[in-house]
Amino acid sequence: MKGTAVLQFETGKSQSLIQEVTVRSGQNLLACYQCRRCAAGCPVGEETGVTPDRLIRMIMFGEREEALNNLLVWKCVACYTCGTRCPNNIQTARINETLKQMSKEAHTEPLLPKVAAFHDAFLKSTSHFGRVNEIEFIGLYEIRNAKRELKSGGGWKAAIDEIKNNVKLGIPMMKMKRIHFRPDKIKNLSEIKRLYKKAGDKSGG
Amino acid sequence: MQIAYYPGCSLHASSELYDIQCRKVFGQLGLELKELEDWNCCGATSASKNDDFLAVALPARNLGIADASGLSELLIPCSSCYNRTMVSQKILSEDPGLKDKINSELSKKVEGKIRISSILDLLVSKANLGGIVEKSTKKLEGLKPACYYGCLLTRFPCDIKISDNVENPQGMETVCKALGADPIDWSYKTDCCGASAAINDADTSLFLMSQIIKDGFARGANCFVATCPMCQFNLDMYQEQVSERYEIRKKLPVFFITELLGIAMGFTPHELQIDRHFTDSLGLLKELKLI
Repeated sequence: MKGTAVLQFETGKSQSLIQEVTVRSGQNLLACYQCRRCAAGCPVGEETGVTPDRLIRMIMFGEREEALNNLLVWKCVACYTCGTRCPNNIQTARINETLKQMSKEAHTEPLLPKVAAFHDAFLKSTSHFGRVNEIEFIGLYEIRNAKRELKSGGGWKAAIDEIKNNVKLGIPMMKMKRIHFRPDKIKNLSEIKRLYKKAGDKSGG
Repeated sequence: MQIAYYPGCSLHASSELYDIQCRKVFGQLGLELKELEDWNCCGATSASKNDDFLAVALPARNLGIADASGLSELLIPCSSCYNRTMVSQKILSEDPGLKDKINSELSKKVEGKIRISSILDLLVSKANLGGIVEKSTKKLEGLKPACYYGCLLTRFPCDIKISDNVENPQGMETVCKALGADPIDWSYKTDCCGASAAINDADTSLFLMSQIIKDGFARGANCFVATCPMCQFNLDMYQEQVSERYEIRKKLPVFFITELLGIAMGFTPHELQIDRHFTDSLGLLKELKLI
């Protein structure tokens, strides 16, 4: 938005985006009056440039592509500070979750692919045992990262460096006996599978 | 007295020590923790980033099990599990259509009657009634903890009211004071450690942790105390990296609240498994002659 000399506003484009985000996130974006209390409390705002108020404004202008591909959406730590302080109860962290889902559905490469890979791997691991197995989960996460590095031309070295990084963290965990190899599997796994099925094929993957 | 207990995945894996401590400490306080039978992962902070249905449905299955347990209260020590389960219960109470949709897949249906308690909800009421002082065999004199709440214990993605002050909670301080410790006043008690960003966006997370650790030092704390396994894990495990990158010379032990309670009650560090921390915690306890 920064470089826009003249504001472009297309009613149709903005209406459809506002409506989609409002309905899916359950947040009343139109209530935002740009007081920026959210921006003042955002722990990643300085780094992302885009603060919650800016994101809401972006959506109001119907800038779909920018709304899905900005650092706030992908660096948001979901601390809920913005929403707790918002005088109009708008939870931008929820909006960010919705935008992540929309990005995935649009099959666009996430701005921070590791963030998306992390949450995908977590849910995938949960679907396997009903509980998260930390080893399997981190394994799934690293496989996703390595695959991406190979596909994007980063080569084997980048793929291996990525894996090495987490193995390095695993060593102190092993020392402190804080890694568990045996998966903690629930008995009624079919119930979890049914819930995943009902959710559609959007999760994990 | 028995209460229902949801440990969650962390307390069965990397933060198993917290599970062991909870059972010991609450046992001393007269509460037997009855683990929910066949509980599942709550989806943590990942489910809502992929699928809004699963984010409600996964904790809902546990709520159904808890409602069928015949017990009236459910303890969830992990902040993330606590937050997601509270949110699920709240959403289901407002959306009967979604509740029916989820219940149709569950063998134990959500009724919505179980009262969900965070670990502080229980400990603060015990402290206020004198239960903690009564069970303590020593005072934690010399301990100056920075009480670290993190995000998910006090803030929710929807309108849920808690009994503590959201911007400056005092529950953990109340418990620490009952133990004879001298908690410091500081600015980062409800700031975010980055949680999963420690793995998927390390620069962001290490920076957030550096601010927390620096303020702890600046305010004269000699340790942190936490209730969330993710917060404890991050500040404990990544402190080495944070210190190196941000040139922080000293280290601060990161205790679970149950470790402080356990020490005061006379359990040994080994029984409590405090020797499984990444940042040394026993040194300070010895220095203060608490162990």
